[in-house]
Amino acid sequence: MILIGENINIVSTTLGPAFKARDPRPIQEMAQAEIEAGIDYIDLNIGPARKAGDELMEWAVKIMREVTDKPLSLDTTNLAAIEAGLKNHGDGRALVNSISLDRMEEEFPLAKRYSAEMIGLLWGREGMPRDAAERGMIAAELIYKANEMGIPNEDIWFDPIVTPAGNVDTNQVQPCLEFMSMLQDIAPGCKSTVGLSNVSNGTPNELRPYLNRTYLMMLMKYGLYSAIVDVFDSELINIAKGKRPELVNLVHRVMGGERPDLAALDQEDAKYAKTVRVLTGESLYSHSWLEV
Amino acid sequence: MALEVPKTQYNGKIREVVLGKGEKQVTAGGETAYPFYLFEGEMPRLPRIAMEVYDTPPEEWAEAALEPFAGVTDDPVAWAKKCVTDYGAELVALQLESTDPNGLDRGADEAAEVVKKVADAIDVPLIIWGTGNQEKDTEVLRRVAETCQGKNLIIGPVVEGDHKKIGAQAIAYKHTVIASTPIDINLAKQLNILLGNLGVPDEQIIMDPTVSGIGYGIEYTYSVMERMRMAGLVQQDDKLQFPIICNLAKEVWKTKEAHIPTEEAPALGNAKKRGILMEAISAMVLLLAGGDVIIMRHPEAIRLVREMIIELMAS
Repeated sequence: MILIGENINIVSTTLGPAFKARDPRPIQEMAQAEIEAGIDYIDLNIGPARKAGDELMEWAVKIMREVTDKPLSLDTTNLAAIEAGLKNHGDGRALVNSISLDRMEEEFPLAKRYSAEMIGLLWGREGMPRDAAERGMIAAELIYKANEMGIPNEDIWFDPIVTPAGNVDTNQVQPCLEFMSMLQDIAPGCKSTVGLSNVSNGTPNELRPYLNRTYLMMLMKYGLYSAIVDVFDSELINIAKGKRPELVNLVHRVMGGERPDLAALDQEDAKYAKTVRVLTGESLYSHSWLEV
Repeated sequence: MALEVPKTQYNGKIREVVLGKGEKQVTAGGETAYPFYLFEGEMPRLPRIAMEVYDTPPEEWAEAALEPFAGVTDDPVAWAKKCVTDYGAELVALQLESTDPNGLDRGADEAAEVVKKVADAIDVPLIIWGTGNQEKDTEVLRRVAETCQGKNLIIGPVVEGDHKKIGAQAIAYKHTVIASTPIDINLAKQLNILLGNLGVPDEQIIMDPTVSGIGYGIEYTYSVMERMRMAGLVQQDDKLQFPIICNLAKEVWKTKEAHIPTEEAPALGNAKKRGILMEAISAMVLLLAGGDVIIMRHPEAIRLVREMIIELMAS
C-alpha cells in the first residue's frame, strides 16, 4: 500500500511556528523521520493559506527538495498555492490534495498541466455525503469531468472522507467501507486513499492506534490503494506493508461475521476483534470499548 | 395465507432497579420490548412519575404552577407531604436549588439536613437533584449520601467529572446514582462503564440522558433515548440496559410559552392550560421514547399522563 505521511501540518504545535518563521530545520527533520518510517509521499498541509499561500507552498516544496526527492502531496484549498507547489516539484509526479466538485473547473486543468496525480475528495455540494450511494454519485461526476478534460481514471485517487467512529450521529465508517467495495465498478482503474487518523478523532490518544490500524485492515479488504497516516505508528506501517497477515486475516474474519472466543484470543488480538465490532456498528462506541 | 405481522427480535432486557426502601419502594425497568410494545414483549410495571419539590421558595414561577402548592412552597417538608398525601406522588424529587453557587450557595451540611427532614417525613422514594455544578454537587451529594445512609435515595446528576467521589459515597451508603450525560449515547455508555469500573452495582444506576420540553429540542433527547433502548434491547449492549429518568418539569416550566400570562400573549391561549399541556405532552413524548421515571410538576399534567399510561397499558 502507498503511504502518505500526515505529520507535516501547519496546525502542528511544533511545526506551525516553524512554517511561520520560515525555519526549515524542524520541517525537514520531520520529512526525514517520515522517510525513515517508510512512507512513499510526504503530505505538505499548509491549511487554507488564504494570504500568500503560493509563497508559503513554494518555500515548503523547496526546503523539501533540499533533503528528499520523494513525491509530495500538496495539501491546501488555495489554488495559487497548489500551482506554486507544482511548479517547484521537480521530477516525479506530485499529488494534488485535493480536488472537489466546488472547485474542479480550475483544479483539473491545473493538475493536468503539470501532469500531477490528484485526490478526488468526495465532498458534495451540500456537504458531507450521507451514504455510499452519494459518494458514488460525486465520484461519477468528478470522473466525467476529468475524462472530458483528458484526465485518465488512473490519475484520480478517491477519498471517501473518513469520519470519527466515536460519534454515532455523524459516523460514516460503514458507508466508506461500502463505497470502497464498489469503487472499481463505478470507476474502473481509479485509485483510493483515506485520511485514516480521522476515524479516531476525539478518542483518547493512547487508544487511537487501535481504531486507525483496525480500520486500515478493514479497508484493505476492499483493496484500499493508499492512506494518509501517522508515520509514528510503526505497527500501522507494518500492517500496511503486509507484515501482519495473520492479524489482517483475523480482522477480515470478524468482519465476515465470525465470533472468535475473545477469552481464548491473544490479548492484543482480542482488542482488534472488539474494535472491528465497534467499527461495524455492531457494538456502540465508548472510550472504554476495549475494556468491555 | 394469513398475514404474519413482523415482530422485532429482542435479545436484551432493561435492568430492574429498586428506588427507595420499604413498603413504598418502587422498581423501575424490566422491559423486554420497546415502550408500550405490549404486543412484542413485556413492560412489567408502569412508568413512574416523581413530583418536584424545591428546597427554597420558587422565584418567577408561572402562576399556574404555583397554585397547587399554595402555602407550602416555603417549607420543603410540607411541600413533599402535600405531594404524597394530596396528589398521590409515588416518588418525590427534591431539587437542591438553594445550593447553587451562583444563587443562594447554601452549604452542604444545611442542604443535607433539609434532605434528611424530607426523607424522614415521607415514605415514598426520594430523588435528590443537585445544581449541575460539579464541585458543589460533589460536596453536597456526598454529605447527603452520608446523612441519609441506607435510605436508597436516588442522587444526581452524577457526571464523568464527579462520578468517582459521588459514586464512592453511593456505594458506601447504599444509594442509587443518576448517571447524567449531555444528550450523547456514546458518552452515556462511557459513564455507565466508568461507574461499573468504580464498583457501583448495576442495580444502583439509573440514566439521565438530559431532556428538554417540546419546542426546545425534545427530538434530540427522543433520538438518544430511542437509541439507548435499541442498544439495550436488540443489540445486547448491557452497558445501556438501565432504566431512564427524565428531569422534565424545570425544562418545560422555564420556557416563555409556559410562563407568559394570557393577557400578554392572547394568541397562545389560556396560560394555565398552556403550561399544563406543554408539560403533559412533553412527558408523553419522553414516555414513548423509553422514560421509566419522569419528574413532573403540575398535578393536572400528571393526571393526564397517568391516564395515558393506563390506556396504553390496557391495549
